[in-house]
Amino acid sequence: MNLLVLYCTHQTTPLAIRERLAFASRERIEQAYAALRQRFPDSEAVILSTCNRVELYLAGPEGDPLQLKQALSQFLAEFHQVPLDEFVGELKAASGSEAVWHLFEVISSLDSMVLGEPQIVNQVRQAYREAEEFGACGALVHSLFQSAIRVSGRVRSETRLAEGRVSIASVAVGDFAKSIFDSFGDKLVLVIGAGEMAEETLRYLKDEGVRDIIVVNRSPERAERLAKDWGSRAEPWSRLDHWLGRADVIVSTTGAEKPIVDVARFRAARAGVARHTALIFDLGAPRDFDPEVDGLEEVYLYDIDSLSQTCEENRHARVREIDHARQIVSEELSRFMAEFHHRASGDVVSRLMEDWHAISKDELGRLFNKLPHLSPKDREAIERTVDRIVNKLLHPPLTVLKDEAREGTPHGLISALKRLFRLDG
Amino acid sequence: MPHVNVVCFLASYCVAFGFDAWRLRARTGWSRILSLAFGAAGLLAQTLYLLLRSSQSHQPPLLSSAHDWLLVLAWLAVLIHLFVSLLDSSIASGIVVWPIVLSLVVGSLFVVASPSTRLDFHHNWKMLHASMLVLGTAAILFGFVLSLLYLWQHRRLKHRQMLTSGLTLPSLERLERYNRWAILVSVPLLTFGVATGIGLAAVAKSDALPTWTDPVVLGGAVTWLLMCGMFCWLLLGKRPPGRQVAGLTAWACGFLLFMIVGLQMLTAAVGVRTVHGPDPQHTSQEPPSGSTKQD
Repeated sequence: MNLLVLYCTHQTTPLAIRERLAFASRERIEQAYAALRQRFPDSEAVILSTCNRVELYLAGPEGDPLQLKQALSQFLAEFHQVPLDEFVGELKAASGSEAVWHLFEVISSLDSMVLGEPQIVNQVRQAYREAEEFGACGALVHSLFQSAIRVSGRVRSETRLAEGRVSIASVAVGDFAKSIFDSFGDKLVLVIGAGEMAEETLRYLKDEGVRDIIVVNRSPERAERLAKDWGSRAEPWSRLDHWLGRADVIVSTTGAEKPIVDVARFRAARAGVARHTALIFDLGAPRDFDPEVDGLEEVYLYDIDSLSQTCEENRHARVREIDHARQIVSEELSRFMAEFHHRASGDVVSRLMEDWHAISKDELGRLFNKLPHLSPKDREAIERTVDRIVNKLLHPPLTVLKDEAREGTPHGLISALKRLFRLDG
Repeated sequence: MPHVNVVCFLASYCVAFGFDAWRLRARTGWSRILSLAFGAAGLLAQTLYLLLRSSQSHQPPLLSSAHDWLLVLAWLAVLIHLFVSLLDSSIASGIVVWPIVLSLVVGSLFVVASPSTRLDFHHNWKMLHASMLVLGTAAILFGFVLSLLYLWQHRRLKHRQMLTSGLTLPSLERLERYNRWAILVSVPLLTFGVATGIGLAAVAKSDALPTWTDPVVLGGAVTWLLMCGMFCWLLLGKRPPGRQVAGLTAWACGFLLFMIVGLQMLTAAVGVRTVHGPDPQHTSQEPPSGSTKQD
């Protein structure tokens, strides 16, 4: 058996080429599997196509990896109707244990654009499911992808590679807002201005159950438009202080040249209103809130710098886990390859044992015909003795075979055993 | 009955604390499992120890001695902590709970361990009195833990620090709510406990200890008054800021726990006779070997 992966990823290939080689829809994937079956009838295949990578895994009979790479590249060119010379230089290939290593790294998110991002596991699972559905899977692909899923589980549970959020909005909501508030269904969110970052933050807040959103903008038309987009309410700029006093979460991105809310204004806005915590995300640059506001009781103010710093720390923390994750990948690769080689020699082992036991059974049958006076107990004792002899005779060569299989498929030994004991026929 | 002593569960709790503390530095699944396992093993040993002492003194642990009373309090704290940890393994409550449990267990070694047979009438009322006080104190202890977690979370949020070890802290809103409830629950329990104590002392016809000058009784009364003050402040006053509540609760509950344990230790060290102390005939610190009279 031979395993090859042909791939282009965000690290190796420009988007302009990746998008031409992508399998964009389920129909295209189904067609691709049909075409692969036609071109490589004895092979198993998996197509992994995401916005960051296009990968083709092919497991088939022994063959030259270089020729297989050329054949697969040709398949891609014909299937997508893209001239081969336009992308062939961008394609990478790996075979054997390197192909396994590549898949294990991909599914562990070590090869992802955002290190440790969780979506890739589901994307690989989905690709594996589709391959199974379209009849492209065999024993090797099953074993390979199930091992890969196990690797990703180990990396996630034993390292911090997927820990800590790495986008401003997810840090703001996931790390800070959820550490302050228990639930968001009863919280009032005030959006001041209308930057892109505010929109992303609002999306995270809505995922957490926020229902009551007020949009305040200097331009009433823009406020109305945003409120409509976000399923919220627009309020005039003159009512800003009123809502500053009542809001639980404030997201501000006005783009003003100097702070629009200082301590005195904020304190005045909150005076006379029932005490409650205020969480402020000042996502504007320059800042919309005077940093001194953070010193007020029960006010938590996070500006773009403090959120970015947290993202950066989380990114560094993830990078520090790469070695640990690779160690797990390496362990699992050794395990997979040992199992793979063992399976390769497993055929010979089982056939050898079957042949020898069949011979012993025939001979015992003849013996028992000649000695009909033997009691069932005597026959059983003789059968057990002969079985032990066969097992003891087979033990040394099979042990050597298993030992050799740990290092790689023992082609020499397998071939010698096949010839010596006529196992081909 | 197996031979179990304080060192058995004290050592288990120390190891469990060690594993929980280690989780602050490194995220490992095994440290969480080992912490839970050692905590559960310690709880089992402590349960056996309390049962053993109870069978020897022929009294429930709550009525036996200050030593047993403190151990019951520690036992409750461990039980609640293990329950919470099983519900949410990522909560960093162990960092705060284990030192308190260890202090209570170590403190129990320095208080009177001989069983009290003084107020051996109205067994059910005595049981109610002791149960209310221990539950009220457990609520105070719970409030203390919550307020420490609140202050930790507040500090983390103000300083933009991340918990990178996989441990989490509950949200400020939840901690504040639970903290408030802990205080509100502790006061009725303590009030009922103090009321039954006064009733029991009033009907006692023994050699009449000077109850109101008894340091343990006095300490209990101060505890109760202080908690009543906090109770009124929380219920009747304008809603105070969460950090203020947490800070005050941490100081008040910490002081009260310190006073409860400290007074017991002080009376044991000085040899002051208290209404909760042993019989004058039983002054040994060792667990009783024989049976005591039961009404």
